[in-house]
This record gives sequence, structure tokens and C-alpha cells, in this order.
Amino acid sequence: MAKSTIKLRTKDKKGKIQVKALITHPMETGLRKDKKGKVIPAHYINKVVVEANGKAVLNADWSGSISKNPFLSFKYTGSKDDTVKLSWEDNTGKSDSLEKKIGEK
Amino acid sequence: MKRRSFLKSTMAAGATGVAVGMGVLSPNMAFAEAHGKDPFKAKSVDDVLKMLGISDPATSDKIKIKAPEIAENGAVVPVGITSEIEGTTEIIIITANNPTPLAAKYTFGERAIPAIKSRFKMGKTTDVIALVKAGDKFYTAKANVKVTKGGCGG
Repeated sequence: MAKSTIKLRTKDKKGKIQVKALITHPMETGLRKDKKGKVIPAHYINKVVVEANGKAVLNADWSGSISKNPFLSFKYTGSKDDTVKLSWEDNTGKSDSLEKKIGEK
Repeated sequence: MKRRSFLKSTMAAGATGVAVGMGVLSPNMAFAEAHGKDPFKAKSVDDVLKMLGISDPATSDKIKIKAPEIAENGAVVPVGITSEIEGTTEIIIITANNPTPLAAKYTFGERAIPAIKSRFKMGKTTDVIALVKAGDKFYTAKANVKVTKGGCGG
């Protein structure tokens, strides 16, 4: 498989797990036009799920108003032994996911 | 106005691939299911609120919005929202002047801390409205971001 579209960093901060993610994605709104004046079709992530040990901690519904190559950061109460999984899905049905242990680079 | 209708049709076509299901929107229902009346496609803040079933959310100073006063590049505006309201389950972010104002909805699991950071696009100077759901109630706060260079279209 090609290189993952997801960069995921997690860090244990005294029982609070910080999750930072960067996803490579064009996030086209469907409002932009190319040089020939043709509308570039909408292509954006509309669903992001973050799970810790298989249990959802964050569900995000996004629109085209999220910037290109979206960044996401939040914290949850957990332990340093957790496994965090992030998955996304876009409006064309594409998806990707990545699973990492806390602190794993 | 030709452009508008064209957009509508392209967006509708794009959305079919992700149709999760059909359903009539009610205040307590996850709105992602309401494909026919997708609030993400709403064109005004009032419509968004209506589709989400929110009326008169109480203004709260327990919601902190961290956004730049002036954003040089509207394509990437970092916004952080923290809710100190107990029992927060959802944070909804609306960029009032964008063509489709509803930007994102975050639903938190039990263990998550209701604070979120993301980057948004803003077409022009706009109010960023945060809506927080705690229990059955909605609370709101807003901040203004001045955009010197737009991030939508262009």
C-alpha cells in the first residue's frame, strides 16, 4: 500500500492522552474553478473517527470548510498502554485508517 | 445564478456516495443521517440551526474560542474551541459567511476532553460560531475573524 495519508502522534500527559493528526487530502469544496473555468468537483473528508482501544472517543463530521490537509488535535483521559486508531472517509467513498500505540512515532 | 444551480447539482451528485441513510430530522437525531436535509449543505446560519433543530441557544462564557483576530490566509485558519460546560457531548462550528456555513461537528466519547483544534477555510471576514451541546441544551459563543485573503474560490 502506498504511504499512509495519516500522520498520527500521540502523547501521554499524566493520564491525558494528546492526539494530533494530520491528514493529506485536497479538501476541495466544489466551489473552486480550474484555469479553464471548469468547476473542480467537491472532494473532501466528511467523516473522521478516533478510537482508543476500539472505543470511539471522537467522531467528527466535516465539510469543505475544513482546510486542505486537515489538522486535528484533542485530548482524552486514557492510559499510556492504549492503542489509538484514526480513520477517515471522504465524499467519494475513499477512506484510510491508521493505528498506533501511545507515543509510537 | 446559473452557477448556483450547477453547484447544487454537482454537490448533490457527490453526496450520493456517502448517503448514510434517510430520516426526518429531529432535534435529538444525529444529523448525518438526514441526507435529504443535510445541514452541511445549508446556505445560511439560520437554516443550519433550523436543520439541526436548535433554537435560541444560550450564550455562554464557558466556551472559549481561540482564533486569530486577523487571518492573513483564509485557506488555513487555526481555530481552537474549548468547552468548560459540564456534560459537553458535541461541539459544532459554524463559519457564518462561508457559502455553506456549517463547518464541522465533533461528537465526543465518554473519555474525551471537550476541546478541539482544527484548521478552517474562510472565504471572507466572518463570525466563527461555536455551538456546544450539553445534555439536551445548546450553548453558543462567537468570535470574529478578519480575513485579508480568501480561502474559498480564488
